[in-house]
Amino acid sequence: MLEIRNLRKSFGGIEVTRNVSLSLTPGERRVVLGPNGAGKTTLFNLLAGELKPTSGEILLDGRPITHLSVSQRARAGLSRSYQKNNLFEDLTIRQNLQLAAAAGKGRTTSLFRDPLQDRELAVIVEEVAEQVSLSDMLDVDVRHASYGNRRQLEVGLALATRPRILLMDEPTSGVGPGMIKGFHHVLANLPRDLTIVIIEHDLDLAFDVSDRITVMNYGEVIFEGTPEETRGNRVVRDIYLGNWQADA
Amino acid sequence: MSESGFWALQLLNALQYSMLLFLLSIGLTVIFGLLHFVNLAHGALYMMGAYIGVSVAAATGSYWAAFFLAPLAVTAIGAVLYFTLIERLRQAGPMNQVLVTFGLIFIFLDLVRMGWGDIALGLDVPQAMAGTASVLAVEYPVYRLFIIALGLLIMGALLFVLSRTQIGAMIRASVENAAMASAMGINVQRLFVCVFCVGCALAGLAGVVAAPVFSASTGMGISILIPTLIVVVIGGLGSLQGAIAGSLIVGFLETMGAVLFPELAAILVYVLLAAILVIRPKGLIPARG
Amino acid sequence: MFQQTRTHTAVCLAILAALLAYAILGGYFAREIVVEIAILAILAISLDLVAGYGGMVSLFNGAIMGVAAYGYGALTVKFEMHPVPAAILGVALAATFGTLVGAIVANTAGIFYIMATLAFGQMAYTIVFQSRWLGGDDGLAGLPRFDFEAIGIDMNDPLVFALFAIVLVILVYLAAAGLLRSAFGRTLCGIHSNEARMRALGVTTWIPKMRALGTSSLLAGIAGILAAQHTQYISPELLHWTVSGEVLIVVILGGLGTLTGALVGAVAFVALKHGVGGYTDHWHIVVGIVLIAVVLAGGRGLFGQFHHLLGRRRNRAADASSARSHPHA
Repeated sequence: MLEIRNLRKSFGGIEVTRNVSLSLTPGERRVVLGPNGAGKTTLFNLLAGELKPTSGEILLDGRPITHLSVSQRARAGLSRSYQKNNLFEDLTIRQNLQLAAAAGKGRTTSLFRDPLQDRELAVIVEEVAEQVSLSDMLDVDVRHASYGNRRQLEVGLALATRPRILLMDEPTSGVGPGMIKGFHHVLANLPRDLTIVIIEHDLDLAFDVSDRITVMNYGEVIFEGTPEETRGNRVVRDIYLGNWQADA
Repeated sequence: MSESGFWALQLLNALQYSMLLFLLSIGLTVIFGLLHFVNLAHGALYMMGAYIGVSVAAATGSYWAAFFLAPLAVTAIGAVLYFTLIERLRQAGPMNQVLVTFGLIFIFLDLVRMGWGDIALGLDVPQAMAGTASVLAVEYPVYRLFIIALGLLIMGALLFVLSRTQIGAMIRASVENAAMASAMGINVQRLFVCVFCVGCALAGLAGVVAAPVFSASTGMGISILIPTLIVVVIGGLGSLQGAIAGSLIVGFLETMGAVLFPELAAILVYVLLAAILVIRPKGLIPARG
Repeated sequence: MFQQTRTHTAVCLAILAALLAYAILGGYFAREIVVEIAILAILAISLDLVAGYGGMVSLFNGAIMGVAAYGYGALTVKFEMHPVPAAILGVALAATFGTLVGAIVANTAGIFYIMATLAFGQMAYTIVFQSRWLGGDDGLAGLPRFDFEAIGIDMNDPLVFALFAIVLVILVYLAAAGLLRSAFGRTLCGIHSNEARMRALGVTTWIPKMRALGTSSLLAGIAGILAAQHTQYISPELLHWTVSGEVLIVVILGGLGTLTGALVGAVAFVALKHGVGGYTDHWHIVVGIVLIAVVLAGGRGLFGQFHHLLGRRRNRAADASSARSHPHA
């Protein structure tokens, strides 16, 4: 469904993404693990189109999207949530979701119809709010929302465009253990035909949620496999020395 | 006049206008590059330089007194502005800076009208430069040659200071990354004040130097502002080489253009601006990479 | 996001009623003032659309007004076109110019955007100033007003013209409000709030930004036709960038991003200008000081500050009443 072939990215003399190749099947849940600085977010930036690769290709359903802009890729069904909240700060949670839902349906250009009054979009907003557990907080100003809620909204925005593939960059970053469980729940309720790639540090979440795991370090993929295979792999264990036990 | 004589004349005129633009734009560009401050009142400072110069010359009978005192006076005005308003607005964002400096333009406009009246005032060139000299086979006013020479001298001096001296290095570092420069021990705040004052001094100097040629008028600050802004954008914010390149380009385009294709000339500058904004928004020789 | 609250409507109606009364009850001079306020209000609305809601501070709305005025002037005086189609074409010319500039500057921001619009406005000024055909420095005189004699309306009557101006303000306000409530308007506000995220959601942001400038220019063009017909004479000074600067001042004075602030600011500015102008020739200094004061005081403007204080009072009342009903909350 999504294929990355020999992707490289250099900044001046420094190669931050080295010959990364990856392949995702529709509906797959892939977690990308790796220490800080491994190049995970850079990979997401390359996938989303915010960075242009030095060489290599990205294909969505077999179609090359390497040279498409950020908005073009979004319209092709690729959506992204950010590690640092990237919200519409001066609006309410509902308005945030409404904007995203409208964008997803391409209802952004009419001079007459108001997406905030659109019933079809309202349904999407309610569904997404339900999915990210924000149904009670829709009319709260983002500025006054808690960090956890804003994290939920961050994911909600990415979902509201009804994407086909969702990239989530450390969705639980900065969030307490109670919320991580809640996020687990959110993930479990997402449509099974949605392809999801998650950058995560929380290993329990990673092993629980993923179909396959890609481990990166120093800009390259050093391992890819099922959760069990990953747990058992020596090289991977060495990176995460002491972070988890070999057997659960 | 011969064909080549005519072109020599245009060349000199273009050079002279470029130098004036340079004196104004270098102040504006470094203030913007270093302080991130949009100072629309820069043109007003130029105007103050001209008017103060006229008064000093009238009081002392000496052009040179005006030449030295006007820039100092304008620097003092600039310092007052800096400590009362500009320091407070440095974080305020371009719109508020535009608004406040626009307000300053209005205030200076009326101050000048109150102090000096509405009629344009002239300033006499010093006796020694009153005649013409033979340059490139034409007779060209000595005073205008002086402007060219002055501009080139200051250009050279600034190039030297910025590239060969420690303070120049500090300025360049602070333009590129003020936070880092500060972390490395450079007193960026003090540098800001210095640079701002030098910028004001140059604006005042440009005013008093231009007064004999263009006369001191209430519209002069406003009319020079746009070409100066264009120079700064074309050259690249915060860049000395950019200001040099930009002022030469705009100066020549406007002067030669007015002769070669009069109707198009004025528009050409804006077409160039549009092109730069679309193709190279950071300008031709940006200060930051 | 735009929301026409009851406060907005109340203040708008109050201002319009006051203008109406002033025009009807006042003399010739009052009617001139009303038209002057109307022109400024329409310009301020057009600027608030892009600057207040779109976040793109443009400094060429005055020039756009001039483009429409000169389009109208050239067509009626030089080509003897009928005023109504000439007016439509004048507005269309302004909208086209604005859209073109919008396309060119769409990917600039902040000070570059401001400077670019400033420069393009001056370009229009220069073209008009240098054009002998358009009268150059002397301008164009003899511009006609609309002729509605057939339905018994005499546009040459200052009272009728003042009422016409007020009607235009109402129409432009309603148009702007409608635009801000449309998908286009909501998208524009979204771009202002977080352009990068809008792009990530699939919006090609330079297009709505360009359209915003084009729409703003259309509205500014209407002001241009009004101005042209008012004095029936136009000069290049209409396009000078200081005029655009004054429009920005009006918007800030009234309250950026409130739409109603445009009306408030226009009234306040004209009142200030003529009030001060009655005492001294130097009203510029007063405007300059007031402007700086408004910005340093937080920049909300007259209506903006009023609305903000009302909101605070309402929140405090709500907190107080909820504290009373939930003492242990």
